[in-house]
This record gives sequence, structure tokens and C-alpha cells, in this order.
Amino acid sequence: MCVLCGQDFVAQVHWTDRHLEHRARAAAPGSDPVAFQGDRRRDRGHRVVLTNEVVRHYGLRVEDWGGSKYVLRDHKGRTELVQDLGSLWPAAAKLAGRTPDPLDPALCEALSAAHDG
Amino acid sequence: MKDRDTRRPVTIVTGFLGSGKTTLLARVLSEPLMANTAVLVNEFGEVGLDHHLLRRVDERTVLLGSGCVCCTTREDLVGALMELLDMDQRGEMPTLERVVIETTGLADPAPILHTIYTDPVLQHHFLVDLVLATVDAVNGVLHLDRNPESVKQVAAADKVVVTKTDIAEPGIVRRLLSRLGTINPSALTFEAAFGEVDVHELFRPYGVGTHAALTFLAGKPDEPHDVGDTYSVSVTFDGPIDWTAFGIWFSMLLNARGEDVLRVKGLLDVGEAGPVVLNGVQHIIHPPQHLGKWPDEDHRSRIIFITRGIRPEELLDSLLAFRGLLGARPLPLHAEQTVPFP
Repeated sequence: MCVLCGQDFVAQVHWTDRHLEHRARAAAPGSDPVAFQGDRRRDRGHRVVLTNEVVRHYGLRVEDWGGSKYVLRDHKGRTELVQDLGSLWPAAAKLAGRTPDPLDPALCEALSAAHDG
Repeated sequence: MKDRDTRRPVTIVTGFLGSGKTTLLARVLSEPLMANTAVLVNEFGEVGLDHHLLRRVDERTVLLGSGCVCCTTREDLVGALMELLDMDQRGEMPTLERVVIETTGLADPAPILHTIYTDPVLQHHFLVDLVLATVDAVNGVLHLDRNPESVKQVAAADKVVVTKTDIAEPGIVRRLLSRLGTINPSALTFEAAFGEVDVHELFRPYGVGTHAALTFLAGKPDEPHDVGDTYSVSVTFDGPIDWTAFGIWFSMLLNARGEDVLRVKGLLDVGEAGPVVLNGVQHIIHPPQHLGKWPDEDHRSRIIFITRGIRPEELLDSLLAFRGLLGARPLPLHAEQTVPFP
């Protein structure tokens, strides 16, 4: 934990976040850090929208938490703070009481209906 | 602009007990090409290995909280690799060009990948570029039938070396090759009699531009490859897919069924100039590479899943249900699609 900004140091970048690091490396040096931050924020926002499409079938909602983490909530107001998609699913399982499974026929049916509807 | 990757390549040599790992290594290490290669072995077997950079490591695993076997850290490897790195950086040895790690016969290669990709120091200095599996031509089919570890090793492999073909009947070798192709259609297969194998070809990096084309022997959609409860299915999409959505789907699948996803490998069209290279063994996903250009004319996504107990139609139905998020529909790939794989 950094005493100045209160954020954890992340020793391990989850594979779903690697493209951001890759883009930053590809652009540096001389790139505009503001443009990178904007890009990163848009990417996180997009992820939040898509993830909510899935987690709402488990009665959950995810939000970006200050651009550094994600906060997952259930209807009772319980929350879990997670770093990335790697830690989001175990936290979702804890709150929902069952493991979110993309092969679950009920979830597949609900997602298909949402798409067609 | 991309910095040149200075990470040292690590090759994992896996294979069932007595399948000829050490014989193969002894042959390979005698090549001048391998002079600056360090070797980590678990045990000194009957076949003496004579190499100046040989180290023995005692398999010490630290199980993490989740208790999942593939997400264990091999403390012994961390220690051994750090020591090699120290020696290399102090100039106490010739430049370390490659590390070969030989696993025990029953070992699952996934914890080695996990160790290298999650250690805060090692992940910046080493990169697993190749998993080799040795399979004994005489007893291979028997091992694959009786030992799930053996199937896992073949599924995790990029290249499979069939050993002892000199003492096996040709019919048996053919049966084994067909069996291997069914378990892992994406792996390249080599035959080695008396440990004789083309070392350059075997250790050739699988990089773009090396013309390493491999054939996805995908079954017809109605004929999935199944070996007992091991299945493989190759999938493409009818357009570019949303990488963020794929990350959500796949991380969710790995969390729910990670131990049953033995292998995933492929190129994904994410609407950029080049594809994303995806390569994973169980829960462990190699850092995906975003390539600047496609390795060949075919710009479609091509991805293979090797699973245990998950039927191909379950995966396809799930990807179809996620079409709204992914932005494209999945299509099973038909037989004989040539896929260049970096």
C-alpha cells in the first residue's frame, strides 16, 4: 500500500489488462499521458458496461472505483473491492452465493434474450 | 515502437515417467547451439546428463489460498532461476541464452508457467516460449488411457516428441500419432528414435515470420474430437470481436471451470491491424501479445479449446449467447484449416 495515494502496488498485471500496458509502452516516450489516461478510462468504462450485462443476472452491479479498482455491490448493499477481472469473479461468487458460469444455460438464455430483445 | 524483448526464453520439457525426457535432453544439450543453456532437473536419472550449467531442484510447491493445483508457486524454481539471473548479471557465467526445465514424470506443467508469470522479478526476466512433451511410442497409448496427467501434458505442449519409435511397431506409432492429434491438434509432432531429433527445428522459436504453420485438424461441427472426456474444438467468428468482452467471458470461464480448460491457443481478430495471440494452460494465460500485423492472408480469428468434460457445443452455445457483448457470432472451424501460430 502506498502511504501517499492509498493504493496497492500491483505486482501482477492480469492478462485482461495487458493491452493497456502494451499500448502505453508502444506509445512512450513522448506520448501524451493525458491521452493515455483518457484511453484507459474509456476502456474501464466499457468494461464496466459489458460486465454489468453479465453480473446483473446474479443480482450484482459493478462500478469503476476511482479509476484504480472496481467495486462490486449486491442488492443488500454488501460490497467487494476488486483489482481486475481475475479477482472480480471470485468476489461475485462470494456475494451471489454461486459461481458465475458462462456455460450456465440459464445465463446463456438470459443474455440471448437481452440481445434479441 | 516496441522495445526488444530481453527476457530469456524458458523451455519446459515434460513427459510421463520413462518417456525419454532425459535421453532427449542429453542429445539436445550436446549441440553447440545449446552451450549457453542452463538446465534445471528434478532428479538425476539413470541417463547421465553432462552439462556445465546443470542444476538440480527439489520440487517444492507452495499451495495458494484457492487450493487450485495449477496456481501453485514452485519456490524451488524461483530460487534456482534467481540464482541463474544473479550469476548472469554478475558476469559469473557466459550469457544465459536459454533455460530448460525438466519436470518430473507426474508433474503438471501449469505451476511452472504460473511461477514464472506471477513472480514479481522473474516475470520481467524470463518468458516461457515452448512447452515440449515427450511421449513413449511403445507405452504412450497406455499412459494416455490410464493417466490423466499424461493427457494434461500433451494438451499443454506446443511440440510433442514421440520417442522410442525405433523399438515400436509402425502400427502402434500410427495409432499414437492419431491419438495425439486428437487430444491436441495444435501441437507439432516430432519422431525421435534413440533421442535423435533435429534440435534446431525442435527449439526454433515459434515466432511470426518463421513460417511455423500448424494444421488445426478441427472436426466437423457434428464430429467433435473426443477422447474419453477430453474434447477439442476450433472456433472462428463472423467478424472482429470485442477484446474486452472476450476477456470477460474467458476470465469468467477460467474462474468457473479453469481446471477443465486444459489448453487454449489462437489468434483473435479484435479489429486492430494485427491479431491478439492467446495462449493458456488451465488458469495460466501467457501475457496476450497484440501483433502489429497478421502472419498470413487469413485475417479471421482462429482459436482452439482443449477441455476436459466441457462439450464443444457448450462452449459454442455460450459464445453465441455472448454475441451481443462480443460483437460477432462464433462459428466452428472446419477440418484442415492451416493456422500459422506465433
